[in-house]
Amino acid sequence: MTDLVDSMLDLMRRLPPTRVEENVTALVNICPDYADDLLGSVDQPLKLKTDRATGREYLACDYNRDGESYRSPWSNEYDPPLDDGTVPTPKLRQLEIKANEAFDTYREMYFEGGVSSVFLWDLDDGGFAGVVLFKKSLSPSASSEPSGSWDSIHVFEAAERGRQAHYKLTSTIMLELVTHSDNGANTAYKKPNSDSPTMDGIKTNGDVSLSGSMTRQTEQDCPVQNQESHITNMGRMIEEMEIKMRNLLQEVYFGKTRDVVYDLRSIESLERQRRQRELQKELVGFMKR
Amino acid sequence: MDSAERIQAAAKFLLQSPPGEINDVLNDVRNIISDDDSLQEGVLPALQEYNLAQFIIADVPGSEHQSIISEAAKLDGDDNRFLDPRSKTSFRFDHLSLEASDAQPVEPDADAEPFRAALESSTLAYLNSHFHEGVASVFATPGSSSTFTIQVVANKYNPSNFWSGRWRSAYIVDLEAKTISGKILVNVHYYEQGNVQLETNHTLTVPLPPAITPANATASASKLLALIEEEEGKYQTSLNDAYTEMSEKTFKALRRALPLTRSKIDWDRVLGYKLGAELSASKGVFAES
Repeated sequence: MTDLVDSMLDLMRRLPPTRVEENVTALVNICPDYADDLLGSVDQPLKLKTDRATGREYLACDYNRDGESYRSPWSNEYDPPLDDGTVPTPKLRQLEIKANEAFDTYREMYFEGGVSSVFLWDLDDGGFAGVVLFKKSLSPSASSEPSGSWDSIHVFEAAERGRQAHYKLTSTIMLELVTHSDNGANTAYKKPNSDSPTMDGIKTNGDVSLSGSMTRQTEQDCPVQNQESHITNMGRMIEEMEIKMRNLLQEVYFGKTRDVVYDLRSIESLERQRRQRELQKELVGFMKR
Repeated sequence: MDSAERIQAAAKFLLQSPPGEINDVLNDVRNIISDDDSLQEGVLPALQEYNLAQFIIADVPGSEHQSIISEAAKLDGDDNRFLDPRSKTSFRFDHLSLEASDAQPVEPDADAEPFRAALESSTLAYLNSHFHEGVASVFATPGSSSTFTIQVVANKYNPSNFWSGRWRSAYIVDLEAKTISGKILVNVHYYEQGNVQLETNHTLTVPLPPAITPANATASASKLLALIEEEEGKYQTSLNDAYTEMSEKTFKALRRALPLTRSKIDWDRVLGYKLGAELSASKGVFAES
């Protein structure tokens, strides 16, 4: 029998990305015993929260959750407050503060808006792990304008080996793009000299939604001079990964999915193409004679 | 969660299956629910709903062609008998195995048949010239000789390259109201190391030119399909425009390919910048005191 978690993950890889939250909730209700496995391995859209102490927005996900509360990277406080919420050791918290500042600069340079958050935690074997999050949403001012959102989730582990550190990075980017079109009776667009009466009174209405997520992994060894080296090392790795994945998303979203539409239906008449091929074959045959 | 609720949740998953992946989803669900007896019984209504909504195709027994399983094809009285107007037969359809059997002749409505047959032949010609692997069915409406339903479906499943796609269109031709109203639905799933889905819906209403009349079946049918061909062509072109807009505007507005400086981030300086900002801030304080 296939592993239950594998089946759940396979299912989540197939069901519509726009409904991931609803479907994860349903799976957790069916198999409550596997809730942690599932919540830890299925990426869900990041939630925006506001830090009560600083008024600054931060991102909430499974990695800064303790029970029902989420920890803010800015004040280090849980909301709703927890007396015994897990927090990083003071040394790691210092690094977390600096990492949040550095990736906030990165966010501004690449996203020109949005929100970032970095969370770090100690590992049992002496190393540490962390997650770097970015989210940006575009909310259109009119329904005809496209809307969209980008969520980055970079989970990493760092293991120091003398003056080197070994980094493992798993990156997921969730991207959603939606456009809406609504054309009432098309007469307004009719050209003055158009002799096409079929244009009259045609009404169309529709939505196009491209949504989903892609995940990639990488590992790397980098030199470490001091604690801050981890930030520059992770910074370079994450920047490299996001550049690669942005290209990949571009290719899959706007290339591959469109190619499949053309594999289903052709704008040009296939009949005409078939006839042309026949004609070409005949010509080739004629030339050979 | 009790057994009935679990089956209900399973049914919801099945209804979200991407094109050509219902068996994969069913396998996952079987493993997750692990109660085959109640599952088999419980999900049949969902499978039926899915097959009808998705225009699943059936090999018509005793014919060389395929027909569409849909609400329009469903015969009253028996849940599992469907009509293929092209071969003038009805058959039983098994919603789990997707097999058709027990073909029986069906006498068409004598008033509606000439126009329906003309629409069917024009639809098949249209199908052949724009769809790579399409199936179409044209139905008369019981008790009416002026309303017809045209349905088209094209599927491409490529599990070895992790993608699948489905194009559905459905039109109601009303010769009395002199309109065609319809919808076009496109679904694409790309799931190599990710889960990306295109989902579109488009509704349209087109008034019929006066020359289209029931008496003039052959010429009217070919004009009707010319209208549909034009609208579907326009739709596919507009889908291209939506792609361009999403790629050129929305995607770029969410995240830049490179910062404004056109070069990658200098991470040593990012940490340094912060230091610089702190220095100038403290200088400011110093100057004021």
